[in-house]
Amino acid sequence: MSLREPAWRVTTRELESSFEEERGAGERAASYVLSPFGARMNRVVLAGTLSAAEPIGRDEPSTFWRARLTDPLGTVGVTAGAFQPRAMVQLRTAPAGRPALVVGKVHLYRGRAETPTISVRAEAVRPVAEADERATLAEVVRQTLDRLDLLDRLAHEPGVTDDALRASGAPPGWIRAARETLRRYPDVDRAGFRDALRAAVRRVAGTGLAPPTPSATGSVTVTVDRPAPPRPSPTAEDRAEEATFLDLVDEAAGVSADGYADVRELLRRLADRGVRADRAEAVLGRLEEGGVLEEPIVGKLRRA
Amino acid sequence: MVATPPDEELPELRLRELPAISPRVHVLGRVVSIRRREVIRRADGGRRPLLSGLLSDGSATVRFTWWDPPKEEIDRGTILRAVGAEVREFRGRPELVFTWRTKVGPAGPAELPPLDGDGLPLRTVRDLHDGDEGFRLEVRVVSVRPKPVSVGEERRVVHEGIVADGTGAVSFASWSDFGLVPGEAVRIAGGYVRAFRGRRQLVLDERGVVVRIDPTGLPDPAEWGRRPPRPIADVEEDGGGEATAIEGLVVGVVSPSGLVYRCPTCRRLISSGLCRVHGQVSGVADLRVRFVLDDGTGAATVAAGREATERLWGLTLADARARLRELPDPSVLEEQLAEAVVGRRLVVRGAAVRDDFGLTVTPESIEPAEVDLEAAADDLAARLDGAR
Repeated sequence: MSLREPAWRVTTRELESSFEEERGAGERAASYVLSPFGARMNRVVLAGTLSAAEPIGRDEPSTFWRARLTDPLGTVGVTAGAFQPRAMVQLRTAPAGRPALVVGKVHLYRGRAETPTISVRAEAVRPVAEADERATLAEVVRQTLDRLDLLDRLAHEPGVTDDALRASGAPPGWIRAARETLRRYPDVDRAGFRDALRAAVRRVAGTGLAPPTPSATGSVTVTVDRPAPPRPSPTAEDRAEEATFLDLVDEAAGVSADGYADVRELLRRLADRGVRADRAEAVLGRLEEGGVLEEPIVGKLRRA
Repeated sequence: MVATPPDEELPELRLRELPAISPRVHVLGRVVSIRRREVIRRADGGRRPLLSGLLSDGSATVRFTWWDPPKEEIDRGTILRAVGAEVREFRGRPELVFTWRTKVGPAGPAELPPLDGDGLPLRTVRDLHDGDEGFRLEVRVVSVRPKPVSVGEERRVVHEGIVADGTGAVSFASWSDFGLVPGEAVRIAGGYVRAFRGRRQLVLDERGVVVRIDPTGLPDPAEWGRRPPRPIADVEEDGGGEATAIEGLVVGVVSPSGLVYRCPTCRRLISSGLCRVHGQVSGVADLRVRFVLDDGTGAATVAAGREATERLWGLTLADARARLRELPDPSVLEEQLAEAVVGRRLVVRGAAVRDDFGLTVTPESIEPAEVDLEAAADDLAARLDGAR
């Protein structure tokens, strides 16, 4: 049975805090992004303010557009491509700086530095009246609080049954999500997140300022929100180590039948020269990242 | 061999009380359906006539087979008394067999047990399942309206509506006019339950018995129209339900929506001028919209007819047809409808049915949801403060 995935009501902050995935097995299985706050998201609804959409990519005519949606807690990218023609037109024509609702699928992208980047692939983008945006934001905060309460109860009563939680009104999908959340994110500051929701409540009440219009320019550069810290430049000692390492790779490759250096063989040769395994792994990692070595087959190395 | 009483001393059994297997029983029932057939004997190729059909006494309906029946026709509705009939089990249900040893004869309606329901177990709406019969219900009539239908050549009126008790609501179809009025409390006996596309329906015919009762303890049917919306996940878990209210955001429109063409005979949607059943037809224009309503716990497809679509869209069928003439591409019309509907917060009331594709609601009313932002903000702020 393939029921339609519900659209989780979430804030941009919750989306940005999510980095755990659950990939469905089998044909046409849905994938989910798990949030630290009890959402198991395939589809979401967001309420906020949209920036002007910009084309991505060099191809002309561009088939992929991106805008940013800002709510009182943060900002998240919203994209639409040629596979969502209706949403793409809506994204391109939505007036910038105006309240809008976005329905879409959550997409988690891991770059080379393993930094997760969350975006929402739009299915529908609707400019709405401010009251409608606030009403949906109220629903977002209410359901987020419901999920946080469910997580707190589960954390305090680990033995509580699904039936007991069901009796207290929690939907079956939420119970499943909450259990998975506690497994995947055992230490998360839920109280801090709960506090952050105050900004959204002020917006619901109309006392908070409308979220600032995200600037249109510059959004293209925000692709990796947590860049890896720059590496210190290698010392002379490091270079010497790398040179030895590469010599041994060549040696190992020379004696192997397939022309690749076997990693275990390499580590054995390094051990003979007094290089410890953890040290060797560090050098190997550095050379791979630097593009000097590559591992096209697991356990097999060659010069790039 | 165990000594058995002579036939005239066999006690008369209600069909609901039939044992699974018995060589001789004494039963009484009305013929609900009947068919004359012949079987060919394998030994010599000779033909042997038989009658088969359904027999009901209001407590249950049981299949019967009557070997070597009389030549004269037995009409539907005839009441038969069968003494010394055999009971066999077929697929877990008892069946009656009338053999040469069975004495079958006509009986009068007065001999059938009275169906005031006293002898039948009291059931609640929640406990009704497809195929159930031989129960009584105490309910209030939520709605009822006559609907003319043609059954074969015959034109009849079926009274359709909804009845409810404290546990739920169920649709009903009565083939006999019991003069039901919305709001009144009744005890119903002699009905049976069938399910069509996952929707349960209580069916009453001329054998049904309806008695007016004191409404104390039964919910006011007017309440059904005012009940607060339920989480869609809960409705999904119940498998749907009559007079269900849900509230959510419209997150999408399912194609084909907007201006559609229907078969003039069966009202099915046609495509390329072809009806699935009636072949090439000249379609009749209609408006409809199927939209997805989502409340964060689940999603339901709402299939709205012409009136509701016109109200949601702000465009009449005539407007839509006029607009179509000016549009280069008819699919733009569906986009325009989607733009008018998606993102709206609605309360939908109606019959919800769950199948493999999820929950579908046939709406009785679609209203914009009213949100008190100030109250919502106060409520949320209080919850945040309470957590401290």
